[in-house]
Amino acid sequence: MTDEEKDRRRGVRRTTIILVAVALAFYLGFILIGVLRS
Amino acid sequence: MTTAVAEAQDAHDEHHGPEKGFRRWLFTTNHKDIGTMYLVFSLVMFFIGGSMALVIRSELMQPGLQFVHPEFFNSMTTMHALIMVFGAVMPAFVGLANWMIPMMIGAPDMALPRMNNWSFWILPVAFGILLSTLFMDGGAPAGGWTMYPPLILQTGDAFPFLIFSVHLMGISSIMGSINIIVTILNMRAPDMWLLKMPMFVWTWLITAYLLIAVMPVLAGAVTMLLTDQFFGTSFFLAAGGGDPVMFQHIFWFFGHPEVYIMILPAFGVVSEIIPTFSRKPLFGHDSMVYAASSIAFLSFIVWAHHMFTVGMPLSGQMFFMFATMLIAVPTGVKVFNWVATMWRGSMTFETPMLFALAFVFLFTIGGFSGLMLAIAPADIQYHDTYFVVAHFHYVLVPGSIFALMAGAYYWLPKWTGHMYNESLGKLHFWLSAIFVNVTFFPMHFLGLAGMPRRIPDYSTQFADFNMIASIGALGFGFSQLIFVWVLLTAKKGAEATDRVWEAPKGLEWTVPSPAPYHTFDKPPKARIAQEAFE
Repeated sequence: MTDEEKDRRRGVRRTTIILVAVALAFYLGFILIGVLRS
Repeated sequence: MTTAVAEAQDAHDEHHGPEKGFRRWLFTTNHKDIGTMYLVFSLVMFFIGGSMALVIRSELMQPGLQFVHPEFFNSMTTMHALIMVFGAVMPAFVGLANWMIPMMIGAPDMALPRMNNWSFWILPVAFGILLSTLFMDGGAPAGGWTMYPPLILQTGDAFPFLIFSVHLMGISSIMGSINIIVTILNMRAPDMWLLKMPMFVWTWLITAYLLIAVMPVLAGAVTMLLTDQFFGTSFFLAAGGGDPVMFQHIFWFFGHPEVYIMILPAFGVVSEIIPTFSRKPLFGHDSMVYAASSIAFLSFIVWAHHMFTVGMPLSGQMFFMFATMLIAVPTGVKVFNWVATMWRGSMTFETPMLFALAFVFLFTIGGFSGLMLAIAPADIQYHDTYFVVAHFHYVLVPGSIFALMAGAYYWLPKWTGHMYNESLGKLHFWLSAIFVNVTFFPMHFLGLAGMPRRIPDYSTQFADFNMIASIGALGFGFSQLIFVWVLLTAKKGAEATDRVWEAPKGLEWTVPSPAPYHTFDKPPKARIAQEAFE
């Protein structure tokens, strides 16, 4: 595996983790809003 | 360049061709296979949702109750919307994205191919569950696609199945959009800078960000509905100290960006087609990117314009009214740029261009009626009338659906390697364009005259326009069978060249037609490929 491919894999992994975290934050965040308001 | 790519791909296919039989489709990780499955699935859903629309329009052809029980009528409006939004339009654009984005950016496949397989196969399960509710005690959900409590909590056995299927649709969309963003950000050909990307790729990148932000919000809202119904919470139940209006705020925080999720990729498709058939580069590419980004940003701060009649402070009404009107500015930039692209171009009118032109004209009508609805005092008159139905159908049918049709005709020769039947394509276009207006234009008058939406019966004063709309709907529905015939006979036409059209731009036109099973095993030089065509 070339350095370029390694960098690409690292980028794919990093972007995926960030996006999953953002999606979870929106999901749990809006439920938290519901909890705080009810 | 083209020959070199073709030879490399032919050699590669000998070792890694597609599997045979159902295993190819069940286990595939190939972006083209998955794109095809998304497109076929969305077409099936389009016809199922469309047949529900015909039930609705048949019932409304005359005043009085004709064919169906009012409760079933409400199920039809609810299911029609859920199926068309989540089952037809969104998966169809994901199908186009799967097919075209890797080829447009010079990537060998999507970045996360196994997840791609999962995100597709979740969908038939989700819609199987949703459709199964038609046969349950209490019938299918009938509280509207907005699922407002407390009404939706009166759903019978179907309720938990509805919630589960919406969760599955959300998971599928989130996985798909993660895949698209990761692919675009990490898999582009070395010379493909972000602002050099085709507009279809750009609009999908922005759409995918929208999806990641708002689909979890919908999931959160329906999770809270579920716990209110079965676990004793009171998020939205006034009797337990909850707030039903909060659901509406959360729902529309998802719901308004959802509108742009269904229209931004359509902008992308049209932005690919108009330059090709005008034989000119897209006017103001960068401004189109900024306009799409502005629309996406503004879509997050306008949600309460759906709720003017619910009640809110005057300052809130003013904010949401003016913020909504502001969206007309970047949208106007886009329409101006499409017109400027055509200006003094050497235009021809093949089927994709016809659908794209109709999109520009008819979507603008939908946009204008949206501006009328944005005016808070006027909305009190329009709210919950057929004017709203006319507005969003102009945005979604001659808007999103026409763009999908345009895209399908535009890229079909690249997918199949054969030219489709142009005469039938044009017949499909003209019948669709005529009937879509016969169906939805009279609804503006019905709404202005005060006919409420979501009712199976109406006052006799509305009879004439309803009859016209129903005839139009039947005509539009049956016209779509022509499209199916065009698809079924797609491989019988003349062989398509690699470029297919006279003046297309982009990497996807540098690979052979039909596109080989594997493309761009080695990253192409985007600029070199582009220059070869210019």
